[in-house]
Amino acid sequence: MADGGGWRPPRPCETYSAEWKLCRSARHFLHHYYVHGERPACEQWRRDLANCREWEERRSAEAQSLCESERARVQAARKHTLVWALRQSPPADWHLPLPQEEKDQ
Amino acid sequence: MAGAPDESGPGSAAGEQLQQQHVACQVFPERLAQGNPQQGFLSSFFTNNQKCQLMLLKTLQTNPYVKLLLDAMKHSGCAVNKERHFSCEDCDGNVSGGFDASTSQIVLCQNNIGSQAHMNRVVTHELIHAFDHCRAHVHWFTDVRHLACSEVRAANLSGDCSLVNEIFRLHFGLKQHHQTCVRDRAILSILAVRNISKEVAQKAVDEVFESCFNDHEPFGRIPHNKTYARYAHRDFQNRDRYYSNI
Repeated sequence: MADGGGWRPPRPCETYSAEWKLCRSARHFLHHYYVHGERPACEQWRRDLANCREWEERRSAEAQSLCESERARVQAARKHTLVWALRQSPPADWHLPLPQEEKDQ
Repeated sequence: MAGAPDESGPGSAAGEQLQQQHVACQVFPERLAQGNPQQGFLSSFFTNNQKCQLMLLKTLQTNPYVKLLLDAMKHSGCAVNKERHFSCEDCDGNVSGGFDASTSQIVLCQNNIGSQAHMNRVVTHELIHAFDHCRAHVHWFTDVRHLACSEVRAANLSGDCSLVNEIFRLHFGLKQHHQTCVRDRAILSILAVRNISKEVAQKAVDEVFESCFNDHEPFGRIPHNKTYARYAHRDFQNRDRYYSNI
């Protein structure tokens, strides 16, 4: 997280609010249970929303924990080793004409 | 080629379910023949083709899953061109579509896609394969584990295994049933395009499942419906702010 000037919450506060509302909805409970077999955990969205509002209203230093929360989300998304190697550049033939089109030309 | 097994979308008559016939490997035989892969100009094929093109256009312009995938692919250097990267064709068997990695083209089976909702799901499914092809070295033809991984991701993230779709297939289950569906459909998709035994396909899916089921790129989450897909797209568009402030 950049210290000093220029830092702001990674997401607008309205986004944290929308995610918290979605997380607490009955429909999300059903989706989450269908996928994971357990109830969803929404508390972290509520904390993130509160910290975001704190920063908006008071530029509170406690907004730092927003960074920690988001970094934890990123880490959780990246914890599994990928099956394949990522590319450094897109496939060379993605934009080339189709073999049939080449024949026609 | 990675394929999507066929089924009817939501709204179809009760009793229809995914047909579990064995589908031969070469589901697009006309692609292998010399000459124009498109069929001739009989009016019935023309009607199916026209319908396919119109539904495809609507999907590309309005569906939030697809719009995110198109943006993500453009960001990765694989901008998608409708005329170059999509083809509406007649297909053998019950397959809905496929991604042909050798030509970087998505094939849509105009004789098997019956509704806009079905088109939305097939395009999403195949674009996930295209996205994987764009961002990673996927050994489509030489490593069945790589194929299995992309099929797990496509079944997981395209809405193929939504609760509603499974109920329409008369597959009833709630607690963690999504994962069962993803495994089963990934295996079916592999068998539709590879001449291997079910046991080999199952073993490949089992080996890669933990990693690939939890790889939600580019959505960042499992998009259970269009609301989730819109939120995912919003997050994708916000990524510069996000990563520069954590």
